[in-house]
Amino acid sequence: MTLPPVFYHHFRTPLPYKQTLLLQEKIHQLQLAARRSSSHHDILLLLEHRPVYTSGRRQTEQELHAERARLTSIGADFAVAARGGQLTYHGPGQLVGYPLLDLACTSPPIGIRDYICVMQKMIQSYLLRTHGITHVPSDHTGVFLDSVTKIASIGVQVRHRLTTHGFAMNVTKEPLEWFGQIVACGLVDVKAGCIVEAKGENVRVEDVVPGIVDAFGTSYGRDMVKLYPQNAGELGEAILALEEDALAAGEWLKAPSPN
Amino acid sequence: MFSAIRQATRARTMPLTAARTSPSNIMGMPGCRTIVTKKYTEEHEVVAFDDETGLGAVSITDHAQESLGDVVFVELPAVGSKVLKGDQIGAVESVKAASDIYAPVSGVVTEVNEVLNSEPGLLNRSPEEKGWLCKIRLSAPEEMNELLTLESYKATWEA
Repeated sequence: MTLPPVFYHHFRTPLPYKQTLLLQEKIHQLQLAARRSSSHHDILLLLEHRPVYTSGRRQTEQELHAERARLTSIGADFAVAARGGQLTYHGPGQLVGYPLLDLACTSPPIGIRDYICVMQKMIQSYLLRTHGITHVPSDHTGVFLDSVTKIASIGVQVRHRLTTHGFAMNVTKEPLEWFGQIVACGLVDVKAGCIVEAKGENVRVEDVVPGIVDAFGTSYGRDMVKLYPQNAGELGEAILALEEDALAAGEWLKAPSPN
Repeated sequence: MFSAIRQATRARTMPLTAARTSPSNIMGMPGCRTIVTKKYTEEHEVVAFDDETGLGAVSITDHAQESLGDVVFVELPAVGSKVLKGDQIGAVESVKAASDIYAPVSGVVTEVNEVLNSEPGLLNRSPEEKGWLCKIRLSAPEEMNELLTLESYKATWEA
């Protein structure tokens, strides 16, 4: 059985987190409804966020309260997410990928552990093939350059076997100082790394997009087809509206402000 | 676990006709032998319904725990909450993935397995027994008839 293609879209302007979460929800609802009539489309959103810290499913408001106050005071947004994993940072200079896939579209369906494992290997092989960056094995999920430097993170939510959230890979140095403000993913002695630092060469987020799209298609065995929002109905309209929101939000803070 | 499957097999030969026609009689029938019926959902939940107590113990299946990997956190519903079949009642987190769990049947949550808060790994070691998630007092026991048998559940994920 040949699997249908995955439609991908790359947003050029850093997106506000909460509105992007709403877009993910909208696509999830469309997919859930479409699945009944088997007109479902798998989607991969590629983007950068405006500076934001987000928490994971198991973190309570009680434990987050003080962090929320401190992190918003240095100029970032703060959002609660229902994904796996714990506190993390997203912002310009980091490529975020949200694969919105139906894990049941294969026979047998892809297990969740395998889905995550393929995602991790996809990032590892992209870094090696395109940038000559090698990773070290780790007991933790994510991609590590050495035992204390993490370049990419994974956090996913699965509902009715439809995925939301995904992966984040640091490209430039811009996210590093923001990561320095938190214990990311609950790992105390781990700091953030990025492609620019590991490679010693300038690389922009837009440069990594085509390679990640290819690596994604290869790893999950899917054809990747560019989505044209103008011709994509309700989904396309939602994408265009979010792009307008992002443009209207204007410049973002390049580093944590020293309150 | 195997004894539970045997029970389910036996139960399948005795459909819940009594429950369907007069659900209020289930508890009151004198001398009625307890039958535990195990039924499954496509979303990998399993409910073991005890027709004597009217309670259904909800778990995730052994196959589900295997495909999830090591469970690090379990989100449970609130005791006393009223749920409709298909409502989200919790989540299981493993290897950076939070997977939502849905009520396989309608009713009221009477008990949750608090041990999972401190020992989420129990869900991997004993998913359908010690790792049960919650107990629901079924408001419509006939919903059990709409769920999958072990064979038809297996057919949803076996190649």
